[in-house]
Amino acid sequence: MDEMASYRLSDFILFSQATYFRQFELYNQAIWPLHLVAIIFSCVIIFALWKKPAWAGRIIASLLVVSWCWVAWAFLYERFYQIHVVANWYALGFILQAGLLTWYGVIKNRLNTLVTSQSKTVIGSGLLFITFILYPLIPFMSGRSWLQFEMFTLAPDPTVLATLAILFIYKSPKMLYVVPIIWVLISGVTLLIM
Amino acid sequence: MKNQYNQSRRRFMQLLALGMTWSVGGLFKPRFSQASSTLISKPIPSSNERIPVIGLGSSRTFNVGDDPVALDNVAKVMQHFFNAGGRMIDSSPMYGSSQPAIGYGLNKLAKTKDVFAADKVWTWDADMGTEQMEQSRQYWNVDGFDLMQVHNLVEWEHHLETLYDMKRQGKIRYVGITTSHGRRHDELEDIMKTEPLDFVQFSYNIVDREAERRLLTLAKKRGIAVIINRPFQRGDLIDELEGNPLPKWAKDIDCKNWPQFLLKFVVSHPAVTCAIPATSQVEHVKENMAACYGSLPDKAMRTRMIDYVEKVI
Repeated sequence: MDEMASYRLSDFILFSQATYFRQFELYNQAIWPLHLVAIIFSCVIIFALWKKPAWAGRIIASLLVVSWCWVAWAFLYERFYQIHVVANWYALGFILQAGLLTWYGVIKNRLNTLVTSQSKTVIGSGLLFITFILYPLIPFMSGRSWLQFEMFTLAPDPTVLATLAILFIYKSPKMLYVVPIIWVLISGVTLLIM
Repeated sequence: MKNQYNQSRRRFMQLLALGMTWSVGGLFKPRFSQASSTLISKPIPSSNERIPVIGLGSSRTFNVGDDPVALDNVAKVMQHFFNAGGRMIDSSPMYGSSQPAIGYGLNKLAKTKDVFAADKVWTWDADMGTEQMEQSRQYWNVDGFDLMQVHNLVEWEHHLETLYDMKRQGKIRYVGITTSHGRRHDELEDIMKTEPLDFVQFSYNIVDREAERRLLTLAKKRGIAVIINRPFQRGDLIDELEGNPLPKWAKDIDCKNWPQFLLKFVVSHPAVTCAIPATSQVEHVKENMAACYGSLPDKAMRTRMIDYVEKVI
């Protein structure tokens, strides 16, 4: 496997920026009207965080599990893998995170205590606001086709950001941070060098 | 009466002259906008088959997934490539959906028999090579590949054996090996010295001339055809040069723009058989293919080209 060492990350980004963003446009057209489900998911999460019912942690974790699984299959494997030869590995990473969220969040109910730190709450809430409200508007604001929008539950980046927001707001097992942080690095570098 | 006759005669002669001018003009009108209508080609040393000095790469540019608009654009780029006399298209399983995109274009243009199909085997699992190449062939919609190369020296010992077998069985016509970005030239040099290769592919351009020192010389000596990838450093070189004027003497080698200047430099090296610039734009493929026509720089001109580029970059 010493050949692998001779590759740079940019060698694996073998698609153009236009092609990358166009994938979201085609994806959004293909999965409509699932966006309504994504909006319902977002509303349920906001409601659960606001009213703080006893089931909040479990239901939020469940919605995250569904989102990570959906993104892994529908976007990363079915669409992104067409243009990116390592996207199948990304999909596996997302499934792994869905498994961890199922174990810690749904089965063990470890997302049941809100953090006491005000700064973490502010960061988490701010991140959630950006993810749910601002993120889908980025293509419109940057002059691209608005159909290239990315939504929580449907696209990887906003799903990861919403998950990190939830992890900030709840006292969460450290293990749940690993995959989202790795994804932030991968996605950030991809957007930077493609 | 005589005056009338003279007028008619004069009129006849004028029409005749006009007709001759039109005919001769039409005869010498270039088929394309290039300076000369003769396509520049070079022989593959192992067979003497000639191929045009400009081919078409597909890394990044043809990786468009199942986007119907982008696929039609790929076909349009390929159409202009073929119309200008192009033959060799190069791809790899590493380039995502480039292979199916090429297949789409070949099918649409009915060019599956005309293309010089060059692809690569790229897997660390030696046993998977044959299966991968068959998958690539199906993506391309061709009967077989003209050239199959080991991509980036991956598992090259095993894959080369498989390729030699395939060549013996007539499933492919030429065997090659590739690298890019100036990687692992020492190892490539050893392989070139010992293996009976038809083709070798690596990066070379006017600012990155490391290959001149050993690889190009060795290829010439061993009779190996050379394909050059990244002649524009993935476009970076053109971006750097674009703001600078072409030297006036560029017209002496029939260059109207920087891409032609850079391509003519690359393919004029005596050991280089062809270059494979990649593009997703029709205008660019037209510019690139124009480098396949006109005159090529000689040794003195090549030195002048290097000096000029090094001065302006």
